[in-house]
Amino acid sequence: MSQVEKKAGLLRRTSSSKKPLKEKVVLMYDEIFAKEDPAKNNARFWDELFLMKVNLEYLESKLESVDGEEVQRIQDNINSLFHHCVQALGEEHQIKVVNALQTLCALFRGVHQKNKSASGFDIINMLMGFDKAEQRMKDLMERLDSLLCGDGSESLKSLCLKLLLCLVTVTDNISQNTILEYVMINSIFEAILQILSDVSSRGQHGYDAVVLLALLVNYRKYESVNPYIVKLSIVDDEPTLDGMGMVVHQALTEYNRQYKDKEEENQGGFFSTLTSMVGSMFIADADEKLSVQTNEAILLALYEAVHLNRNFITVLAQSHPEIDIPTTPTTPTPTTPTTPLGTTPPSLDMMNNPELPLDPNLQTSNLLITFLKYASIVMQDTKDEHRLNSARLCLIILTCIAEDQYADAFLHDDNMNFRVNLHRMPMRHRKKAVDKNIPSRPLVCAVLDLMVEFIVTHMMKDFPMDLYLRCVQIIHKLLCYQKKCRIRLHYTWRELWSALINLLKFLLSNETTLLAKHNIFHLALLVVNLFNMFITYGDTFLPTSNSYDELYYEIVRMHQVFDNLYCMVLRVSTNTGQWKEAASKVTHALVNVRAIINHFNPKIESYAAVNHISQLSEEQVLEVVRSNYDTLTLKLQDGLDQFERYSEQPKEAAFFKELVRSISLNVRKNVSLNTLSQDVLLKEFSTIS
Amino acid sequence: TRSRSFPPPPSDQNSPCPSPSLSISSSPSLSLPSTPSSSCGPPQAVTPPLGVISEGVAELSLVIDAEVAHRACQEVLQKVKLKQLPAAPSSAAPSPPAAPALNTPVKPLKIREEDDPEGPAPGSVKSARRRQRHNPSKQSWLLRLFESKLFDVSMAISYLHNSKEPGVQAYIGNRLFSFPHEEVDFYLPQLLNMYIHMDEDVGDAIKPYVVHRCRQSISFSLQCAWLLGAYSSDMHISTQRHSRGTKLRKLILSDELKPAGPRARRDPLTLTPFCPVASPAAIGEHGLSPSKRTHQRSKSDATVSISLSSNLKRTASNPKVESSQDEDSSSSSDSLEFEAGPPVRLAPQREFIKSLMGIGKRLATLPTKEQKTQRLVSELSLLNHKLPARVWLPTAAFDHHVVRVPHTQAVVLNSKDKAPYLIYVEVLECENFETSSVPIRIPENRIRSTRSVENLPDCGMTAEQRAGSFSTVPNYDNDDEAWSVDDIGELQVELPEIHTNSCDNISQFSVDSITSLESKEPIFIAAGDIRRRLSEQLAQAPTTFKRDPEDPSAVALKEPWEEKVRRIREGSPYGHLPYWRLLSVIVKCGDDLRQELLAFQVLQQLKSIWEQERVPLWIKPYKILVLSSDSGMIEPVVNAVSLHQVKKQSQLSLLDYFLQEHGTPTTEAFLSAQRNFVQSCAGYSLICYLLQVKDRHNGNILLDAEGHIIHIDFGFILSSSPKNLGFETSAFKLTTEFVDVMGGSDGDMFNYYKMLMLQGLIAARKHMDRVLQIVEIMQQGTQLPCFHGSSTMRGLKERFHMSLTEEQLQLLVDQLVDGSMRSLTTKLYDGFQYLTNGIM
Repeated sequence: MSQVEKKAGLLRRTSSSKKPLKEKVVLMYDEIFAKEDPAKNNARFWDELFLMKVNLEYLESKLESVDGEEVQRIQDNINSLFHHCVQALGEEHQIKVVNALQTLCALFRGVHQKNKSASGFDIINMLMGFDKAEQRMKDLMERLDSLLCGDGSESLKSLCLKLLLCLVTVTDNISQNTILEYVMINSIFEAILQILSDVSSRGQHGYDAVVLLALLVNYRKYESVNPYIVKLSIVDDEPTLDGMGMVVHQALTEYNRQYKDKEEENQGGFFSTLTSMVGSMFIADADEKLSVQTNEAILLALYEAVHLNRNFITVLAQSHPEIDIPTTPTTPTPTTPTTPLGTTPPSLDMMNNPELPLDPNLQTSNLLITFLKYASIVMQDTKDEHRLNSARLCLIILTCIAEDQYADAFLHDDNMNFRVNLHRMPMRHRKKAVDKNIPSRPLVCAVLDLMVEFIVTHMMKDFPMDLYLRCVQIIHKLLCYQKKCRIRLHYTWRELWSALINLLKFLLSNETTLLAKHNIFHLALLVVNLFNMFITYGDTFLPTSNSYDELYYEIVRMHQVFDNLYCMVLRVSTNTGQWKEAASKVTHALVNVRAIINHFNPKIESYAAVNHISQLSEEQVLEVVRSNYDTLTLKLQDGLDQFERYSEQPKEAAFFKELVRSISLNVRKNVSLNTLSQDVLLKEFSTIS
Repeated sequence: TRSRSFPPPPSDQNSPCPSPSLSISSSPSLSLPSTPSSSCGPPQAVTPPLGVISEGVAELSLVIDAEVAHRACQEVLQKVKLKQLPAAPSSAAPSPPAAPALNTPVKPLKIREEDDPEGPAPGSVKSARRRQRHNPSKQSWLLRLFESKLFDVSMAISYLHNSKEPGVQAYIGNRLFSFPHEEVDFYLPQLLNMYIHMDEDVGDAIKPYVVHRCRQSISFSLQCAWLLGAYSSDMHISTQRHSRGTKLRKLILSDELKPAGPRARRDPLTLTPFCPVASPAAIGEHGLSPSKRTHQRSKSDATVSISLSSNLKRTASNPKVESSQDEDSSSSSDSLEFEAGPPVRLAPQREFIKSLMGIGKRLATLPTKEQKTQRLVSELSLLNHKLPARVWLPTAAFDHHVVRVPHTQAVVLNSKDKAPYLIYVEVLECENFETSSVPIRIPENRIRSTRSVENLPDCGMTAEQRAGSFSTVPNYDNDDEAWSVDDIGELQVELPEIHTNSCDNISQFSVDSITSLESKEPIFIAAGDIRRRLSEQLAQAPTTFKRDPEDPSAVALKEPWEEKVRRIREGSPYGHLPYWRLLSVIVKCGDDLRQELLAFQVLQQLKSIWEQERVPLWIKPYKILVLSSDSGMIEPVVNAVSLHQVKKQSQLSLLDYFLQEHGTPTTEAFLSAQRNFVQSCAGYSLICYLLQVKDRHNGNILLDAEGHIIHIDFGFILSSSPKNLGFETSAFKLTTEFVDVMGGSDGDMFNYYKMLMLQGLIAARKHMDRVLQIVEIMQQGTQLPCFHGSSTMRGLKERFHMSLTEEQLQLLVDQLVDGSMRSLTTKLYDGFQYLTNGIM
């Protein structure tokens, strides 16, 4: 409240208010909350009101303090206030517009605060009056739209967006915010797009616009036809989509940068902790220090864009140099022409185009790379609720990407090679990878690396089963694409195989604990089927004939794991119980792996015996493998190269509902009108008026 | 078609002036009635007596066709005859076609050369005097030659260069109009070099033609501007500034030489008689006060003609007139082209080239190939945002608009300190790139069918946007619209889906493995089969090169062109359009390509000589675009990789590589590849010998998919050789590896190789002058290293061995081949290259 006092004090000195202890605006608020029509005695009441500096706190608290009966009494005045606010938005006088915007904000917030349990219709009635609501909201949205699209002040636009964000997040559950029904009818989608397509406005308001869009898309997503979903899904204007991508890119880059800074800050203590760790695989306390507030809102926006808009996929691969400082106006952007595209000759503006910075150390990057880096950070630690959500969302986004053929095409494009420095969790038993040694490879390698990285780092008691399933499914989808398009990726598949085998091993050794919570057989089945993909379709996508031998070598070498798995699933499937069915699927899936083991093991043993070698070298085993293929018969399994396509509904609906709720809370907390309140605005507009 | 794009001004029929298209300058002795006022011409006493086709603003858009040009030539010729051969009765009738005796056109030239001493500059009183000294009979031979059917561009250029006779020069200047454009275009470097560096008479003779062609064509204008800049660059800076070449270049770039709008076409003053100093369009440049006045007046008179034109327009029965008006208004409404400042016509292409060069310059600052490649890719993706536009690749053989640069396909080429790079360029072929409408931009993402919600009411916005962007494109030809909008529509509804709330993807995967629900019988496969299929498929796949970050171009160049085209087409939003084509170009920044251009011309000339003489030598001249003295573009040879890359990647000898690529020695494929190899070796051996091509390491010799070798990089030819180390003294490069591919030094193919060389040399010798002329003209005013010293031309001439009999010539070829085969220096040079540049 000290702020209020300070403000009041400031005003006291400057204003000619007659009553020294109460601001004039507060008095006027009081009049509104009185029974009488405030304009009755003073015809210029509303005009004057919007010339006054808004006292948000007072107005909101006043609204909150109104109780049930009083509401009826003052409803006319509140309706009137709302009405005049909307009208004031059309004023030339910018001060009035600012004050009206802030007043509206206070109205929305105050009314909701008070009536948390009230139905949306009551709230609408209280704010606007039922009969007029439609017209009022139409006017409001139109005014906001023209303010956002006009050439007016940037702070004014920013305030409009804040108001919209405020409106969208007044309820915890966005779908219960009935006022948004009017926002659906009177779309501001076009205004949001316009902000995103313009370089300068994107720099200043892009973030808010993207978050607003992400939230609006989630309004009654599963119950009705949300026009924002429809519209977002058909946007095909490149500058706009690029703009959206840039906003997301910058936000994620900023996160990555902050994380890196923190990491460097902690570097000193890092290794000392490292050495002191004995039992635990994870360096918990060091990691906690590193946690940076994740940004689910922007991730949700990325998800919606990738999921809903097919055209957005191209934006992922749009390359531009890595930008360290976001939201600088000089930021090089790949989009310039806002004029009709076809006619723009590459004339003068081509040269004026902000040239790419000439720093040779600057890595060329794209949204996908930044996203992968971000995901590698977020997925490191999934204990925290937010991070778990973020990690899940990251994997969902990757699932969508892996299912998209166009995305797959550029992921596998041999001409698009990048170095992607993924963040790897510092672990006791492995050295920190030397960043510089990562070769430049097609992007899919980075995705696979990320998946392998996740698999090997999350085998813990509190097993993130859901994430593992997604992870394995992403790998499967990528393999299906490679098989289908006969792409022979030069990837060290061995790392993947050994990670998967280790995962099976972990499932086995923690069978009882895990079974209490999860269906581990489903995951085991997916993992075994990945091996089946390699075994039966390896000829279509493995890079060398040697890699096929290596696959067998790896299976034979780790046969113990498969043997144990088979014993376990056999045991479960012969018993009666809830896992009987699931386990028996795994036994069937294991048929080829077991055939391989049973075929080669005796051969290797006899080879060792004949040659009197106790320990065969890898080369010798491979030799045995190579010379004994012909006597091995495999069974072709059905549907290995098919997968269930991602679908948000019904499976993910609950997750997104919760996610949107948490984002709403977060946004509401952060939309502080005060940050952009009077001081800045007054400075700006005092000169105008 | 041309007349369709440039409709003749309606004033043609209505104009009071009887000869709107040509102003024949009136010589004092012969005044033509068609010239309304001769007061304008500066009254110089020494005015060249011969008319040159002049070009005023009036006939800008008018095509001076061969017939008109021929008429002008006839008139000049008549005058020449009248003046110089007063006794000859030739004025009665045009000379009959040249006698068969004239089939060696060199002769008259030679005679003239002999009795025409190098001396005082012509175009003065002296030249007039000298003219009278001439033997009339020789002159008549010359005249008969000029009129003969055999008189071609090559001869015209030769006479223009060698003749000191203003009359002849003027005649040839006019004659240029009657040759097909392509034929003259070949000699454009020569023409412009003469314009820059030779005396005024030659310049005056050439200029009208150049100006006329510039008006007709943007690409010709730019071509001229670039060449003028490049060939002026060796002049001293002070003279360069005021040289005629620089002035013409400025004139072209100022874009004053554009086809005028309808009002200028009717400007009466442009029919002013020819001023010998400058054509009216260039008057402003010359700053002569009387001509300046004309310029001013023509401007003020223009206002009068506007009303005239509108009257005409109303009465015009020709609908084309209307459409041409519309064109003008629509293009002026195109704000971007209008605002861009004065030289709008040439601006897009200039900016396009400039940005390509800018990329090259910036790439050069990056240390590693990998960084360069990445940077190149991202720079090009930015460039894509400005496309399509009215820009084109000058190296292409057909009219087109560039629509997209598939940026991920671009590669940085191997070069030590500069950054040449190769880009692929998607273009749409069109009838005429100046007038056909620029294709509509199809966003990158349009390649994919939009997740269709088309059937929902709310998609109006995008449709509107599209329509909005569409209307601003000036449409010259309504037929062309057909592909731009409709196809997009088709593309979008490729996958009609019903929108669901979740908007999920619907599987596009074709189901590969049969989900055998009915036949529950298990299918068994042998592991050995899988393994075998894997190795077979790997072996079957066309040999690709391994990706090497230090040599990014190897992979890109190895990929068969057809396959690349198909692949890029599939990935392009424009790929579905029927006129889609893929081109490629090497952008060189920091390299002087003038020598390359010279080599291209010589190669092209030899190629056509060998074709004409039916000698099956094979060479592949690749097009060169000189942009300045230190930048340019090269048309890449498709389906070819360097021998260095072949050896490094395959680790095989050349013969073994041939066997790997084409099959065993008895197969048809191998034999035809071997024949191609031999024919190309013979061709390039001769080229290397004649032009003294040096720096022949394996990085500079390409091998194409059919077995041809192709020499590239003519940086060291004629009098220049690298580092003056005295290496490479052999006539050409013929390693034992080459001989092995030919089947050994005593095989039939090797003899065939030598025979081809002999035949090729004999044919080249027969037409030696056509080759010499190209080189000789370019020697003027240049400081190119290939012309270093004084004996360049003599040396070149000697290598044709005019004096030897065919038997002697055969001996010479044997010697050359023997010498090259035994040459230690070739081996030494390869070793030297390996040590210094890592080229195998």
